[in-house]
Amino acid sequence: MVTQRSALARRQRRTLWTIVIAVVVLVVAAIVGFSVYNSQRSKTVATPKGTVNDGGTDSGLAVAGTGPVRVEIYLDFLCPACKAFETTAAATFDQLVSDNKITLIWHTLGFLDSRSTTHYSTRSAAAAGCASDFGQLKAYGNALFAAQPPEGSAGLSADQLIDLGGPAGLNSPAFAACVRDQKYKDWVGRVTNDAARRGVNATPTLFINGKETTVNTIDDLKAAINAAS
Amino acid sequence: MRPWLGTLARLGLGAAFLIAGSLKIGDLAASGRAVAAYRLLPYDVAAAVGAAQPFVEIALGALLVLGVATRFSAIIAALLLVAFLIGIGSAWARGLRIDCGCFSRGGDLTGDQQPRYASEVVRDIALLVVAGFLVAFPRTRFAIDEKLEAGTW
Repeated sequence: MVTQRSALARRQRRTLWTIVIAVVVLVVAAIVGFSVYNSQRSKTVATPKGTVNDGGTDSGLAVAGTGPVRVEIYLDFLCPACKAFETTAAATFDQLVSDNKITLIWHTLGFLDSRSTTHYSTRSAAAAGCASDFGQLKAYGNALFAAQPPEGSAGLSADQLIDLGGPAGLNSPAFAACVRDQKYKDWVGRVTNDAARRGVNATPTLFINGKETTVNTIDDLKAAINAAS
Repeated sequence: MRPWLGTLARLGLGAAFLIAGSLKIGDLAASGRAVAAYRLLPYDVAAAVGAAQPFVEIALGALLVLGVATRFSAIIAALLLVAFLIGIGSAWARGLRIDCGCFSRGGDLTGDQQPRYASEVVRDIALLVVAGFLVAFPRTRFAIDEKLEAGTW
């Protein structure tokens, strides 16, 4: 009887010890995760020229226009729906800009990195930042969409990203270096996190004068902008 | 028979967590954004949870594969799975579109992509059943627990 009871007591002590070890392992894992996250976060980040509201969570890149209605588009260059949106709405936006109705702002995200073997979302968004440095964001962005690779692929190479700038007048070694060095990679990360902070989970997402707006057709888009004028 | 079933359960559940954690650990920011997308926590809390999650999943997977504190680890695994199921269910009910990244809702400005709620729910329920089995029957083969029990350590 005594032997049986002390054997049971030994087993319970052993079980308790293994549980303690398991708890310690899990807590240490959580702490390690949190520390890695913290160390990755606190970096000052190079921001491209043409950034508006730098420092705010709605900071983005000025595309075109100085009109009263602020139109923001959250987009990812790997996203087919964004390409469709831009292609369909391009003419309308051009008109609204030349009528001085809107200020157009892009938030170029690295959302779909998981759908590319080379983080193409971030790479293309960073390249767009480089184009913005030279005042050619709109032309380069359109070129990126026109040359959009399929999801799940490696996307365009650095050389291809640089060559795309040619027709837009982005021929300088400075532009090439900016793209190759991925100068704005961390900035894209920050923009992407800010998007999540603002509640944006998918692309394209449209904000008109700071309010998230859903539009399914060109007429909806025009109506929404007129309503905000 | 049961210890062998249990061993399979333990190794399978452990592998599932190891794989889940390994897939996320390369991009902690994305993991944080994924948690934030469920809109159940304030952004900064979600980002911290998302960053810790892959590490905890890998640690839990390792504990299960090694067979350390099997019943306790299975309980933790079950609790995590229940939390995931609540999150997915809540997002599904609210019509949120999670894990899409790229979407729209029809109309000439858009394309379409459905969230994969159903398959994720099925997968997590299956894992929950496995975890439940381990909680009930934690004695398995090739586990450190058993080596300690037999006094061979």
